[in-house]
Amino acid sequence: MIESFREAFGRALVELGEENPNIVVLDADVKSSTKTAYFERAFPERFIQVGISEQDMVSMAGGLAIGGKIPVVSAFAAFLMRAWEQIRNTIARDNLNVKLIPTHSGFSDHMDGSSHQCLEDIALMRVLPNMTVVVPADAPSVPVLLKQVIELEGPVYMRLGRDHAPRVYDSPKLKLGKASVLRKGSDVLLVAAGVMVSVALETARKLEERGISAGVVDMHTIKPLDEETLLRLAAKVDLVVTLEEHSIHGGLGGAVAEVLSEKMPKRLIRIGTTEFGRSSRDYFSLLERYGLTAESVVKKVEVMLT
Amino acid sequence: MSEALDPRTKLQSMLQPVNNFHLESSETCLEILSAVLEEKGEKDVVILSKGHSAPAFYVMLHEMGLLSDEELYSFADIDGLPSHVIRGLPFIEVSSGSLGQGLSVANGIAMAKRMDGEEGYVYVILGDGELDEGQVWEAAMTASHHRLDRVIAIVDRNYFQLTGGTEEILSKEPLADKWRAFGWEVMGVPNRKEELKKALETAKKLGGRPKVIIARWEV
Repeated sequence: MIESFREAFGRALVELGEENPNIVVLDADVKSSTKTAYFERAFPERFIQVGISEQDMVSMAGGLAIGGKIPVVSAFAAFLMRAWEQIRNTIARDNLNVKLIPTHSGFSDHMDGSSHQCLEDIALMRVLPNMTVVVPADAPSVPVLLKQVIELEGPVYMRLGRDHAPRVYDSPKLKLGKASVLRKGSDVLLVAAGVMVSVALETARKLEERGISAGVVDMHTIKPLDEETLLRLAAKVDLVVTLEEHSIHGGLGGAVAEVLSEKMPKRLIRIGTTEFGRSSRDYFSLLERYGLTAESVVKKVEVMLT
Repeated sequence: MSEALDPRTKLQSMLQPVNNFHLESSETCLEILSAVLEEKGEKDVVILSKGHSAPAFYVMLHEMGLLSDEELYSFADIDGLPSHVIRGLPFIEVSSGSLGQGLSVANGIAMAKRMDGEEGYVYVILGDGELDEGQVWEAAMTASHHRLDRVIAIVDRNYFQLTGGTEEILSKEPLADKWRAFGWEVMGVPNRKEELKKALETAKKLGGRPKVIIARWEV
């Protein structure tokens, strides 16, 4: 059982590499951390080491895409953002078939602290025309979504954490661009992405004990957002809550707020961060500190509904 | 009417209504583009990394009969030719305008060609001011490390950047030594078409490492 985002990614990439000889992988000297080292071992001739230079890596991936390859670029999410302008001006502007798949997003790199934790990337990627933004909820989701990401023609940002990936699915049947409805509810709708999908499920169970009926949606594709499913489910409840391991500004919460305020004004709580992280010996202390736990969300929902 | 004009006059006349937009850096790029486009084989790729020399590129397309008078004089008009080159124009595989990215893209194209056993050189035209961008030197390391000997960079060494002389803003010299230290084959030639074409011919024959031609603007 793989319960790690990066392990799931590293292995899935090798499997897809067997099927599709056009996949090439670029690395900025973090292959052992991102697990693209597995791809290097399997296909050394399709693995390109650029050294610690994310900007060069992203633009080079653009060149490889122009040359007909399907380049997969991986790094720590925070440091891939160093190449945001290259992503904007070359990859997104020219609609190149480059797959940007970082690991270590959110708080998942707990030890390394605020420099390495990435709480802004969804906002930075979502704002770019042509870019698709995907955030898998758990390890089994990774190969399912990765296959579709590779098959999709055009630039994609697929955001992964490091190891902690509590299981949501046994054998997920996920479709890129289509929200996955995990639970129906009549009082509250919890819309979550990434690790926070499991927190949303736990929140829903706790709310149920308190007599509050909560639905849960895994919004694994943040752009394009499945507005149809969101609006259909939001219509049935009084309160919508977004949950993400990311800033409440511009990410999933921002995307949902934009849709609801224009099409179906509704009370909304955005669960996420508003400040930089900090180093911690364990990951869960960070989730607790920043209010990303079921207990914390339950309290906020109760306050809002009473 | 513009048929009778020489490229430089044509450039001046197309840029006159737009306040001489990047006129000087386009003037110094005319002979370079002319040499590269004449040398370019069917399998070769040209990247104009200094995308602000787009006007010079359009003049060359006009010279080749690929743009009409009307198109040429639509420069930077809202539905006319874009002020910096974009993907989709003849010969343009990648958009530019933001400095420092073209060499990395060239490396990627060269790498893809090598993986597929395809022929062809990748010419990338850089500005000397553009060399301030750190990414150029990241890419210079990548090209030599991976022995991308199909990459041929041409530096438009006109000694000027936006707000002053290159040596006053940020020293480039000793420029040839820098490229050499990064593992490149370096050639320095005057910025004249015939000399540039000769240098390109020579560059294509040298294997094993990437090549840079420093095209010196001599007044």
